[in-house]
Amino acid sequence: MEAAPRLPGMEVRPVERHVYEVQIGPAHPGSGHMRIFVEVDGDIMVRVDPDIGFVHRTMEKLAEGRDWIKNIPLFERMAILDACNITLPYVEAVEKILDIDPPPRAKYLRTLLCEINRIASHLYGMGIFGVFLGHSTLYMWAFGDREVFVQLAEDLTGARLTHSYPVFGGVRRDIPDDFPQNARKAARYMRNRLNEYAKIFLNNPNIRKRLEGVGVLDKNRATELGIVGPNVRASGIKYDVRLVEPYEAYDELDFEIPIFEEGDSLARAWVRVEEIRQSLNIIEQAVDWLERHPREGFMHDRFWKNAPQLYKDIYNGKIDYAGKYRVKLMPLFASLKVPAGKASARVEAGRGEMFYYVESDGKNVPYRVRVVSPSFRNVIAFKYVMPGHRLMDLPAIYGSFDYFPPEWDR
Amino acid sequence: MHVPAKPSPKEVPRATFLGRAVAGNLGALAVGVKYFFDPNRITLLYPHEYIKLRQGYRGYIVLIFDKCISCASCARICPARAMKMVSINVFDKKLKKYMKKKYPVINYNRCIFCGFCVDVCPTEALYHVPYHDLVYNSMADMVLTLEDFQKEPEFVTAKEGVPVTYIYDEKKGLVKVHYEEEGGEVQKAEGGQASAATEAQGEQAQGGGG
Repeated sequence: MEAAPRLPGMEVRPVERHVYEVQIGPAHPGSGHMRIFVEVDGDIMVRVDPDIGFVHRTMEKLAEGRDWIKNIPLFERMAILDACNITLPYVEAVEKILDIDPPPRAKYLRTLLCEINRIASHLYGMGIFGVFLGHSTLYMWAFGDREVFVQLAEDLTGARLTHSYPVFGGVRRDIPDDFPQNARKAARYMRNRLNEYAKIFLNNPNIRKRLEGVGVLDKNRATELGIVGPNVRASGIKYDVRLVEPYEAYDELDFEIPIFEEGDSLARAWVRVEEIRQSLNIIEQAVDWLERHPREGFMHDRFWKNAPQLYKDIYNGKIDYAGKYRVKLMPLFASLKVPAGKASARVEAGRGEMFYYVESDGKNVPYRVRVVSPSFRNVIAFKYVMPGHRLMDLPAIYGSFDYFPPEWDR
Repeated sequence: MHVPAKPSPKEVPRATFLGRAVAGNLGALAVGVKYFFDPNRITLLYPHEYIKLRQGYRGYIVLIFDKCISCASCARICPARAMKMVSINVFDKKLKKYMKKKYPVINYNRCIFCGFCVDVCPTEALYHVPYHDLVYNSMADMVLTLEDFQKEPEFVTAKEGVPVTYIYDEKKGLVKVHYEEEGGEVQKAEGGQASAATEAQGEQAQGGGG
């Protein structure tokens, strides 16, 4: 083959005879904007290349020009359906530099919203997975049941998706009075519902035929590629940030981390169902704890000690137009200067480990924020798992990884 | 360190060939038939019904002019730069003279409804109204003047629509009920027109499973 023209940053890929290149994307009806180059020989995929960087939005650079607190709504935009999990490590890292530790009630409230978000995120992923396989019932069911948890999150924070809930030193709202009973009802409902999910989707022979033994990611390969989250737990690796490095209130809660050995698409779907079950347990435990303990310590003393009487009145609902159980932010949040230092934090988000590295040089904006999102670490698996399968297996594998393009390219 | 979380190995349920062919298909069909006759419907017939959101929802923002102390905290904390301060001549009651003061105005083209401005206001001069479905005629209208910012925006849907709210239910998840203003008593929504329209949608949803 003669020399192809070379330009910096340009990649020339010779395509073999009898091989066609198919582009999945750029606008995908199921998942948002992304692109995968697939080379097919007949019906068999021989080469799969996810186009990393296609919807890059310069999150890290934007963060360098914004005040510390303004980055919380910015980072939420990476995965709005998993908003609390996505912003929490940033808040934790800044708290480490500020050297403050949120009070226990704030930790439980954060944990509560994290688990609500995890369920909503898994249900969203399962709904998309279902519609990829042509199973539109599951799509309707999962999105309808997700509404229960979106409603819980709305009751707690005042917004359906972009909660901006954790702030430095605490949280922005306390639970409403009727929240515990609603959360328990939702948990009982969802537990029954998961059995029906298994009947209509996961144990349905039509679906099993499409998923069993498809897209097998074995233990070694998963470790090699650095896959995270439910996907790695479906391959038999016991790795979960809640297990290896408990954060917030997770070291006081009793729950299991489901591990599956198979590593195929079916196991990746099952691990999510089992995780929803565990998240429901965590929600019930957190709600019990919050009910038992008095409503105090939702914000670190450094930001609440000097709060005027008006702030306490608003929290107690004495001002009629202002709502109830709202935690006011001190005006110093608007011009917060974080002392020089560096810190990192990670949490287990819905799709896997979410990591932030934050560096401050003492100004009112961060010097550097590095974000490593779970979908970015999972997407590389497509390149190694998909070749050898038929093109019709692409949606099955793609959906089973529950991957989210805006979070992949942030 | 105490770590109560523990990994628990699980297995994907395996079934014999007969079990898979018979029990798998029958189970799926049974669930499909069950929801064909008794579906979970949460569809909102939007312009005819609207969700009566509870207080605390982060909707549109209104300024209480008399409480504002011109501290500009709201403009400084706004992550989307939607809040701006404008200078106007007002009569100061304490100093008994006209003077220039700054007051916030909001640009709803930019606002992301994070509520930081409302939470940071030291005198609670801003508050959220619990609705979010408004229409503006042009982009220019969405940049509010100081006068407009003090008025609660007109909630057009509430004029014709029926207020509904969703309550949690152990069997059904969310159940749509009519919202009643006083007493907080709620009744099941079973209007003839409403159920006829959701019927069609429910059947569509069931089509894939059956």
